[in-house]
Amino acid sequence: MERISGYIISALLGLICFTVRANAQDTVQFPMKIRFGIEAAGSAKYFYEKDRVNFEGYFNIDLSEKYSFVFIAGRSDYSYARYRDTSFLMYDYRTKGTYFRTGFDVNLLKPEKSQGKYSVSVGIRYGLSHFTYEIPTITHKNYWGKYHTSVSSTDEWAHFFEFTPGVRAEITKNLSLGWAVSIRKIIDAGTGQHLKPVYLPGYGNGSKSFSPGISYYIIWSIPFKTKRIIILPEEEEEDEGDLQQNPGDSTPDGFRQ
Amino acid sequence: MRRSVPGFVVIIISGFYLLLCSCLEVACVDETEAYVKANFYSYSDGQMIIPDSLTLYGINMESDKIYNKAIITPPVLLPLRDSTYYSTFIIIINGVTDTLEFRYWSYPHLVTKECGYTFYHHIDTVYHTKNAIDSISKTDENVTTINGENFRIYY
Repeated sequence: MERISGYIISALLGLICFTVRANAQDTVQFPMKIRFGIEAAGSAKYFYEKDRVNFEGYFNIDLSEKYSFVFIAGRSDYSYARYRDTSFLMYDYRTKGTYFRTGFDVNLLKPEKSQGKYSVSVGIRYGLSHFTYEIPTITHKNYWGKYHTSVSSTDEWAHFFEFTPGVRAEITKNLSLGWAVSIRKIIDAGTGQHLKPVYLPGYGNGSKSFSPGISYYIIWSIPFKTKRIIILPEEEEEDEGDLQQNPGDSTPDGFRQ
Repeated sequence: MRRSVPGFVVIIISGFYLLLCSCLEVACVDETEAYVKANFYSYSDGQMIIPDSLTLYGINMESDKIYNKAIITPPVLLPLRDSTYYSTFIIIINGVTDTLEFRYWSYPHLVTKECGYTFYHHIDTVYHTKNAIDSISKTDENVTTINGENFRIYY
């Protein structure tokens, strides 16, 4: 009887120890964060491309260890002149406007690897752009000679979608760097089919149905909650597989015959 | 001991390379002229028939001919004047002279960022004399850079 109760006590202690060990290994304390950032590429480009000014702010909040909500707001001021040769101005285009992009990011990293610091994500966003544009000079030359015209300042709204894979890494405590490539698809440029915008704030080249882009972010993170995530243990299939592959290679004591 | 560079640092830095690659400009490769495109047909049987000789030029521009006693590859291309609502041409088919006038309205159209703007036209009316030309029928009143017949000239 004493022996049986000894076994039971040992089994219970073993079970408790196993549970404690399992909790220690298979649980991740995941920091949920709010992130604020700026897009650095647009500002950096200004130093070598003076006719384009772009400022963009970034807000992101974790909804879970996998999903986060994203809101981006920006302001663009752009002018562009296209010449056929140095003396022939084909057109001169100016636009400025405000844009917003909002949507969700899905972090593809597992929580134990991400730790709230790293992200390899894909995102989808809806974009809205409110802009004014004018074309002070359009010059067209054909058989009959040169003709000049212009389009006066016009106020428009445009809509687009964006698919954006990206990466982000925390480089020091709460400070992250990240970049994302973007493929944007125009829904409506707002200008009709003949005067498609040469540049659409928040979108890029508005004369194209698809517009690629890249954004480089500097991000400050603020943890607001810690979420306890239980990680399901992975099955140890590799060892079994090895044994199945070489069933007769080894003797029971581990030596090759 | 050798320390390896973390993969994330490499990925973050590679973003700069993509950023630099995104600033390249490309050349214009699209059609930038919107011509009236016309084909010639026989008024007797309606079959397409190419004139043996065609001369075409804008009125008062005899020194600058668009076609000069040419054997054409159809369609014949007629450039319209952007600054007015009409363009008049002198057309000489197999040595017989006619006058051809298009009435239209024009509007600018962005081809691409690289190619700039061209002018599209919407033809309202076409007038012509009847020396060699029997009649002209309209197949598409929109004159754009897209290939397609706008008029059939029966002679």
